[in-house]
Amino acid sequence: MNRICPNFCKVELFFSLLKSNLHTTGPQQAWAKSDLPKTFLTFNKKIYPPQEIGEEPRPAFVCHQKTNIKYSPEKLWYVASLVRGMTVDEAVKQLSFVNKKGAVFVKEAILEAQKLAVTEHNVEFKSNLWIAESFSGKGMVIKGIRRHARGRIGEVRYQYSHYFVRLEEGKPPEDYYKRNPLTPQQQLDKWLESMRKRKITNSY
Amino acid sequence: MIPRLTYVINILKNLERNIIQSFGYPPKELALAYAHQKQVPRQSTKFTLKDLVGDGILLAVPKFRRTVEKRWKRKFGSPDYVWKMLVPKTNIAICNECGHHHERGRLCGNCYKRIETETKEIQAKIEEKLGNNKPIENDVIVLYDGEKLPDETKEFWQGKRIVEMKKERPQWFSKNLLQKTTQQPSDSKDVKPTDLA
Repeated sequence: MNRICPNFCKVELFFSLLKSNLHTTGPQQAWAKSDLPKTFLTFNKKIYPPQEIGEEPRPAFVCHQKTNIKYSPEKLWYVASLVRGMTVDEAVKQLSFVNKKGAVFVKEAILEAQKLAVTEHNVEFKSNLWIAESFSGKGMVIKGIRRHARGRIGEVRYQYSHYFVRLEEGKPPEDYYKRNPLTPQQQLDKWLESMRKRKITNSY
Repeated sequence: MIPRLTYVINILKNLERNIIQSFGYPPKELALAYAHQKQVPRQSTKFTLKDLVGDGILLAVPKFRRTVEKRWKRKFGSPDYVWKMLVPKTNIAICNECGHHHERGRLCGNCYKRIETETKEIQAKIEEKLGNNKPIENDVIVLYDGEKLPDETKEFWQGKRIVEMKKERPQWFSKNLLQKTTQQPSDSKDVKPTDLA
């Protein structure tokens, strides 16, 4: 193609350069720019190279986020950490009985992500998903004033949070937090040992 | 007109006062009468330690770095006292009737909601028909579509009102549910319960 019509290709190149130098969007004020988190969702768009024949199949995943939740990020962290490493069904079941405001948002986010996984990310069974990543981040903070005694002023922080969740296809790992709980036999041995260690003080 | 006049008079007064102040007042000895103004001793504006420290609240600052153990204690709590992390519940069972989850030992929320909506409908119907301003003296019998009144003696119908619901009886609503707990013990020798749905 290059040899046949080199001039045409040169013209094409010139125009592409011109386009890359042009700003097609209008001028954006600093205060009007959206400061919502964007990098987490870019993982969804990543296209992986085709896998080798002997390689283990890479499980499908979906990244989802819920932004500007009127809740404290520290409090949301507790709910997010409950749900890590569970299957989607188990997570939704547990969250229904968590007595916290954040549990509602997290449950909604997980159900939305499940839906997205089936429709857009080529997941076959919606129950075959587990929560690989689940964390909270700080959103905007609106500051207000309150009064204290003796003419003192205090600051009130109206905090917002973001919640991020990544669902992966397949079975969850046995021990996500690697707590390595003792088996019943081990627990029994430990208890027996502690019972046998007892002695009367100052005796042989 | 008068305000303008008083305005001018005020200006003249101020002018007179300013002139006398600038030239200085005549000595008090020459005056016929004057008002003796007591000299108030000026408060010494000494800078004390109290002004510096104040109530001690303004100058709060951390004295030492919070150790990681303290930070963990605040974040996670203690397994011996209060464990702050959320623990998954092991007492969640499945309702036999509707299949929703509920905590063992508590009512199924879905079933409860279903009964609650039906109850509210019945109550609305009763209010609509009988009004809610009268004291509740008489029982209300609720009849659904295609149901007949039970065959009872006239005494039974003495103080009872009938409310008809314009819908079919729900599957789960058996007549057995409305039996009073304060029923008198019966002398009948029947084994089967009577007048069920």
